[in-house]
Amino acid sequence: MSYYLFLAPGLLLFASIIIFPVFYSLSLSFTSFGGYGRPVFIGLENYARIIRDEVFLHSLRNNLLIVAISVFGQIPLGFLLAYLLYRRMVRHGSLYQTMIFLPITISPVVVALLWNQIFSSSGIVVAIVRKLSGQPQYVMKIFENKQWAIFPILCVLLWMHTGTYMVIFYANLQKMVPSLLEAAQIDGASESQMLGHIIFPHMVGTIATAAIFAISGSLKAFDLIYSMTGGGPAHFTEVIAIYMYINTFKYYKYGFGSAASMIIVLLAVGLILILQYITGKLEQRFE
Amino acid sequence: MKKPITITNILSNVLMMTFSLLTIIPLAWMILSAFKPHAHIVRHPLQPPMTWYMDNFILAWTQGHLGIYFVNSIVYSMTATVFTVLFALSSGYALSKFHYKSSRIISMFYMLGLLITVHSVIIPLFIMETNLGLANTRLGVILPYIAFGLPFQVFLSTTYIKGIPDAMQESAIIDGATFQEVFLKIIIPVATPIISTMFIYTFLGNWNEFILVLTLTSDLTVRSLPVGINSFAGGMSRDYGLQFAALVIGTVPMIIFYLIFKDKIAQGFASGAVKE
Repeated sequence: MSYYLFLAPGLLLFASIIIFPVFYSLSLSFTSFGGYGRPVFIGLENYARIIRDEVFLHSLRNNLLIVAISVFGQIPLGFLLAYLLYRRMVRHGSLYQTMIFLPITISPVVVALLWNQIFSSSGIVVAIVRKLSGQPQYVMKIFENKQWAIFPILCVLLWMHTGTYMVIFYANLQKMVPSLLEAAQIDGASESQMLGHIIFPHMVGTIATAAIFAISGSLKAFDLIYSMTGGGPAHFTEVIAIYMYINTFKYYKYGFGSAASMIIVLLAVGLILILQYITGKLEQRFE
Repeated sequence: MKKPITITNILSNVLMMTFSLLTIIPLAWMILSAFKPHAHIVRHPLQPPMTWYMDNFILAWTQGHLGIYFVNSIVYSMTATVFTVLFALSSGYALSKFHYKSSRIISMFYMLGLLITVHSVIIPLFIMETNLGLANTRLGVILPYIAFGLPFQVFLSTTYIKGIPDAMQESAIIDGATFQEVFLKIIIPVATPIISTMFIYTFLGNWNEFILVLTLTSDLTVRSLPVGINSFAGGMSRDYGLQFAALVIGTVPMIIFYLIFKDKIAQGFASGAVKE
């Protein structure tokens, strides 16, 4: 009896606000619901229209670039920084750690608007380029290029999240038994041997879990881009979450938007399954 | 043991220094610019302020309604955090100490919740809240905040409470204590370290939350700081001084919060990525 009493409040909220809406959204995604009247069942038509939509494909590409910068940028850099801290390669490690982890507390909206200022014609980047190149009229044109517009945003994401991974890895490195490394050192193991044979195998699980966070976080990237560019200009920096948001709340295509949000879930699950497969292989190799 | 300085040491220091400066310089520039009038920012972006010009802050606070947003943010973050942590603790206690068969399934259920993002439920949530009359109310923001905090916090509390020896509970039960008393007088005091981590981590997430408030509210009287700053500094204001002041108002309290609680915040992130 008390068991259910302890569980009830949380479970009730969780089921009604998260689980039920997921199924609701799934069922809406098969309809042409537009906010009023009765939803009309149209089968897979929303999905078919989405995957043929060029704006969606560009958003998907941007999302995959964000996944790539997280998994192949933030995580390795975060690991490198954590490793340097752990092996005491630098003095004042905790001071550096405090500074590099700091962006985690700042709201993505503030980060977005701050970097817009930095990239603007009266921002740091432009001012420095003008000084160095001697072109007083220089302005950043990168946002006007369809292929490259997302790149400044990738840099900002790197800026925001590298510190988080550093902290995650550093905390888990400290859980290693120190005598293991000491013994290896006495036996004359080099730094790279210790990294490859002791530290990395110990960290595979943590790195894989961090990658899961990175993937699901990258696919829901919204706040930063929404405030920085709103997906513009001309959808150049759009990601699927923004595509979903605009179609739903600007054009009132609830069914269509729900289908887009289901695609985000499917992509996340798909990528995470691939990742688990790779991690499984890696763990086998180290055993 | 003194280690000789090597190339690796130098490179490591350079790398750390670069990353630190990349974090500090934009923030320092933001804070300094907030004390400059618009014209000075546009003409001399790299110059420090000539005087400590305060008008930006006063105008941003009044014209930008940042005062209201600030109060709303505090109400949302505090209320939702208290309930998330409380419900997560009671769930964690039930799931780890009652050894019921359903515990495993419910834990799995919450684990799945970790993968579900706000975006996949925002449309139905908006429809449901509109129909129930919860849209544009404070309660309509707080309830989803509590729910989305739960999966990870249930995970944290379950793992922690599992580590508390069963014997502590058993002897109290034999002495005639009820489960509610055990929860309040034994579990909660013993779990204090994890409770503070849970509290700080959840608060941080709620404070910076954006899309729920953006979608579920439209009146400025119920909007929170991130959404308020976005519409004020991002859209309406062409005055860069006001923009910077708004950003500083949104950032500085969090930097102070961070400097006090950074170890707890780090612990919250790190414990999420431990694969048992």
